[in-house]
Order: sequence, then structure tokens, then C-alpha cells
Amino acid sequence: MSTTPVTSTSDKSAATPPRRPTSADIELLAFAQAAELTARDLYKQAVAEGAGGDQIGSLAALAAHHDAYAQSLSALLGTDAPQARNDELFSSLKSGFGSNTESTALAAHELENTLVVTHTDLLGRLDGTEGAALVASILIGESRHCAALAALAGKSPVNDIDLFLTTSDVESLAPQA
Amino acid sequence: MNDFNRDELRRALRTPSDHGTDAFGSIVKATSGLNFARSLSRRRFFVAGGATVSFAALVAACGGSESTGIARLGDAPTPNKLVEAEVTDITLLRTATSLEHNAIFVYEAVASAGLLTGDAAEIAKRFLDDHRAHAEATASLTTDLGGKAYTQPNPRLQSVYIEPALKLIVGDEATGIPPTDDPAADVLALAYALETIAGSTYQAYVPLLADKSLRAAAMGIGDQEARHAALLGVVLNPARLVSSMGLSIAAEYQEEGETQTAYASPSAFGTQAPVPVTLGAANESGIRTNVNLETPSLNSMVYEYLDAEG
Repeated sequence: MSTTPVTSTSDKSAATPPRRPTSADIELLAFAQAAELTARDLYKQAVAEGAGGDQIGSLAALAAHHDAYAQSLSALLGTDAPQARNDELFSSLKSGFGSNTESTALAAHELENTLVVTHTDLLGRLDGTEGAALVASILIGESRHCAALAALAGKSPVNDIDLFLTTSDVESLAPQA
Repeated sequence: MNDFNRDELRRALRTPSDHGTDAFGSIVKATSGLNFARSLSRRRFFVAGGATVSFAALVAACGGSESTGIARLGDAPTPNKLVEAEVTDITLLRTATSLEHNAIFVYEAVASAGLLTGDAAEIAKRFLDDHRAHAEATASLTTDLGGKAYTQPNPRLQSVYIEPALKLIVGDEATGIPPTDDPAADVLALAYALETIAGSTYQAYVPLLADKSLRAAAMGIGDQEARHAALLGVVLNPARLVSSMGLSIAAEYQEEGETQTAYASPSAFGTQAPVPVTLGAANESGIRTNVNLETPSLNSMVYEYLDAEG
């Protein structure tokens, strides 16, 4: 092991990123909060319809997860938080969240994949570190949701392993500059 | 791939020259077994304090090499300058690469020792391939930034977590550790904890990375680590995929019985907390060893002054 001091070269001159969300961040994070409230309502609809079978508790927990994401984003945004779901997104997806467990799980799997892609997109665009840290922790949660939903859909962790591990090639929902 | 069977794996863990013997390991060995809380009771603190002052006076009286010969309190040699250890984007990427090599080491060792079979072995092989790709990706990002890519397992994590955990699984005659009763179950439990920590590490790096384009790249990998952990959660606990722990949901949807150690989705947010894993054979009291895996902290980062050999 070398003990010679080496001066780092990569980013010493880089400006320290801001901690709080910038005005551009606020727009992106507000979109994210509306998307999370949409996901919460879609899961609530599926639970009300009776989807999930013996894993209905897991679906109810997923609704609670997305509610927690929305609340955390609200805490970060304050009065800038929309506090309302994206009705257009909800309407376009609600038919997938019915009483059939397998089809609901697959629709939810696609939704969670889309949210992972959206949040990855946001991470490359957010300036404030508080917003980026929160989005990263949400992203990890939603990545795990994808694998859980593949299992709920009855897929095999061996034969269908890509459904568990691979992020779909979908477009980010976030508004583009 | 490392090519060793279980006996060779045990020997490799006893003489970890390739992966574990380093300055970090020396510090860990030198301080292991010390109980600071017990050794510094209030009474002993005052006794020790008095002794320290007396000893300081004696040392000062002895003086430095350029002493005038007159004893003065506070005459001490110039301290050695510490190496510059800055947490840069390159440091974070090198640490991420080292963590990928920790995972590669584990999956290679498990495969060579034949600890997993059937579907579990297939899953582990896929994870190994993914970690190799991740290591290449983070190494490439490191060189893109002008840094030198790291090519070894993280030395501190290897000596503090990985090697002790593998010894608990395969046993170690030299230290009297018996092999575990169910190696496959222990390997899956260790992999679950390791993959969770890998995802948490990338998550933790997001607010630390100065270049925001790197945040997305890091979390692209963190996403995959989290999915690895979740898949193992499905295998380990198929009865309940999403934990209700800490959630405000109707009682009818709460899980019954004790909280399990593994879930596909254990909590809403990615965790930064230590991940506990229970490994090894039970002792005479029926107790198994608990190991808490943690994300790399300041004393386990692969700073730029560390060379690729660790």
C-alpha cells in the first residue's frame, strides 16, 4: 500500500452543490410527488377490488410506501407540493389495477419500472442534494418493489430472472426541459 | 475465477494475503478485544488521568532532540503530517469498485466451494456476472475522471465482514470455528445482506457526488443491487413480500407473527442502517453469531493515495 500523499485531481475546483432544492428542482420534485400519489391511489384501488390473494397485505403496504414517498416530498417542498395525484396518469393506468392478482401485479411492475426510470432521470437533473438524496432512497424502494411484483405475478426467479432484475426500456415520465 | 474447493477456501481465509492483510487489518487486529467502556470507569478515569499527567511531565522533561536542556512542559516533537484523504468523486467511485470486488470474491468463493446448487447456484452466477459488469462500469467512470481504477476487494470490508462471515460458514480449524449446519441458507442470508448494503452504498453516495451526472450512473447500478437483494428476499421469505413494519395500514393487512430478517421489500425507503445477518453453527447455548454489515464509512473508503493492490 502506498503511503505517499496524492492530491486529488477530479473535482476540487467543482462548486459545492446546493443543499436545498432550486426553483428548477421544485418543479421536478412536485411532479414526483404527484406521481407518487397516483401510484398510491392505484394500489388502493387494487386492494379495494380484492387483488393480491394471500399477499393483499403486501399490496396494502405498497400503497403505504407510495404515500410515505409523497409525504416526504411534501416535507421537502412545503407549500410548493401539489398534494394531488396526476389525474391524467391515473386514468391511463387504472384499468390495470383490478381484482386479478397476476394482471394487477404486472401492471404495477410496469408502473414501478417507469418510476425507477423517472427517478433515475431526475437524479441527473436535480441540483440540490437534499432532493437528490430523497429521490435516491425512493428509487431503491421502488427497485425492490419491481422484484416483489414479479413474484406476486407468479414469475420464476430463475426462468424469468430478467423480470426481477432488469429495468424496462421505458421513457421517463418527468417533464423534459 | 478463483479456483479452490472448501478446504482451499478455509486455507485462503487463514492466510488472506491477497485480499485482507493491510494497514486496515492491522488496526482492526490491534484493537480487537479492547473494551473501552469497561476500561474507563469513572474511578479508573481519574486514576488514568493522574497517571497521564505525570507521564506527560516525565516525557516533557526528557525533551526533544533540540532541547536546550531545560525541562519545559509541552516541549514535544513535531507530529508527522497525515496523508491528505479527501472524499472526491474518484474516491467514491474507487470505493464502489472495491465493494463490487468484495461481492465478486464472495460469489466466486461460493461457486468454487460448491456451497450452492441448482436454482440458487444459477441465481448466484447471474449476480456474479452483474457485479463484474458493475466493477467494469465504476472503474471506467473512475478513469474517465482522471483517476486510477481500483481492482481489489475493499480491504477493510474484506477483513472485518467478508472473511469472518465466510469462516462462520465453512469453518476454521485454526480458530476452532465449526462449519455451519446449512451452508446454502447461510450463503443466501449473507448475499441478501451484502446486496442490500451494496444498494445502500450507491444511495449514500448520491448527495456526496459533486458531479450530478454521476448520481444517475451510480443509482443505475444501485437499482440493480437493490433488485438482487429483493430477489433473494423472495427466495428467503416468499410468504410475505412487502413488510408492514412501521407502516400505518389497517390491522387486517399487518403481517402476523415476528418480523422476518428478509423481505423482497423490507421498508419503504432504501435504508442506511446496518444490515444484520445471522451465520454459523450454534454454540453450546444454541446461539448463532450475528454480524452487522454496514456501508463503507470514512475509514473504509479507497482514497486516491491507496494503490490498486490495496
